[in-house]
Amino acid sequence: MIQIENLHKSFGSLEVIKGVDLHVKTGEVVCIIGPSGSGKSTVLRCINRLEKPTSGRIIVDGHDIMAKATNINTVRAEAGMVFQQFNLFPHMTVLENVTLGPIKVRSMAKKESQTFGLSLLDKVGLIEKADAFPEQLSGGQKQRVAIARSLALQPKVILFDEPTSALDPELVGEVLEVMKQLAHEGMTMVVVTHEMGFAREVADRVIFIDQGKIQEQGPPDQFFTNPKNERLKEFLGMVISHI
Amino acid sequence: MAFQFEPTVVIETIPMLMRGLKLTLQITVGGIFFGFLLGSGAGLLKISRNFFIRKIAGIYIESIRGTPMLVQAMFLYYGVPMAVGIRIPPITAGIIIIAVNSGAYIAEIVRGAVQSINPGQMEAGRSIGLTHTQTMLHIIWPQALKRMIPPLGNQFIISLKDTSLLMVIGVGELMRTGQEITAVNFRAFEVYMAVALVYLVLTISISRAMLYVEKRLSTNKG
Repeated sequence: MIQIENLHKSFGSLEVIKGVDLHVKTGEVVCIIGPSGSGKSTVLRCINRLEKPTSGRIIVDGHDIMAKATNINTVRAEAGMVFQQFNLFPHMTVLENVTLGPIKVRSMAKKESQTFGLSLLDKVGLIEKADAFPEQLSGGQKQRVAIARSLALQPKVILFDEPTSALDPELVGEVLEVMKQLAHEGMTMVVVTHEMGFAREVADRVIFIDQGKIQEQGPPDQFFTNPKNERLKEFLGMVISHI
Repeated sequence: MAFQFEPTVVIETIPMLMRGLKLTLQITVGGIFFGFLLGSGAGLLKISRNFFIRKIAGIYIESIRGTPMLVQAMFLYYGVPMAVGIRIPPITAGIIIIAVNSGAYIAEIVRGAVQSINPGQMEAGRSIGLTHTQTMLHIIWPQALKRMIPPLGNQFIISLKDTSLLMVIGVGELMRTGQEITAVNFRAFEVYMAVALVYLVLTISISRAMLYVEKRLSTNKG
């Protein structure tokens, strides 16, 4: 589904990604963890070209995102993204947030998009909020709407950029529940997160990125119980001692 | 002989000023309308990704903001026809001057409002597969427009008052009408007081109208 080869990304003279290779199979749930500033979000944002890679190759669903012939908007519709700060459209109702993509990008009829949008809001448990505006929602509700908004494009993969980092602790659970449900339904997911519990329970593979490189990866059991990389041990030690 | 204030002159003058008022309104509405279009265009060009397009918008904005409107009016009405050989009717010239002048200020209002929208909104729009233009149109612009309302109201009031400068190119608007009346009855105090009152009523109307629009938009959230 996603093939990243030798990805490099610099901001000015600062190189933040120093050669990342990553393949994500259809239906796979990959969690990316790592300290702040390690470049994990940047890798994710390169996948749908919100950040333009400096060099390397990224293939998403058969499309080379760097190729001139590729229409990036088509790729983005196939690769949904959920942001840390939700980024809902504040001037639109919850339902309009969800139906905008289907109407404008998928050319769906308005009526049909509303039925579809309501079914997605039902799926994330927010059908009763369809006519509310984003500012009337809690953080957890906003993030669930954002997930419904990206699902509305019927994407082949969803990229989650620290989806629970901006939430009050008691609201994290409801968002993770929805993500778990998606994972069980077979959605391909790449999740940048600090939720070790989620990674452990849901991920097929966990990846540790530090200093712009993948330092270690593996299935969660092995990854968390028997980490080999020194930096990962240190990182897990710090994260887990806080729990 | 001591000055004697004649309140009746103020009352008598107001109906005569209505002729001028009509022109003032025509020029203000036309000028603001085209000024908003021009300003929106220039404001968006100013944040274009293309360096040259940004420069062109910048030159327009800087040159208009950096010169007095009185000079611009004289230049367009008396200067340009000498070079081009076409005389522009005063009212048309007035509308063009107000539009070009307010457009430069509105461009900065538009640019500021658009840039004040969280970049996450553009990213969210692009992430669901909308094009840059679609995201601008459906997501950024409606939110920016709301933030523009208070400074736009301010600019509309300034433009309305600036129409009085058009008396120098012979537009028979409110101010010039007042001057013509004074030339006949010599009651400068009363006549200009009446002129001022009419402007005041107009500017207060604009600020009330903008406040109303602002309130309506805020009950619509966003």
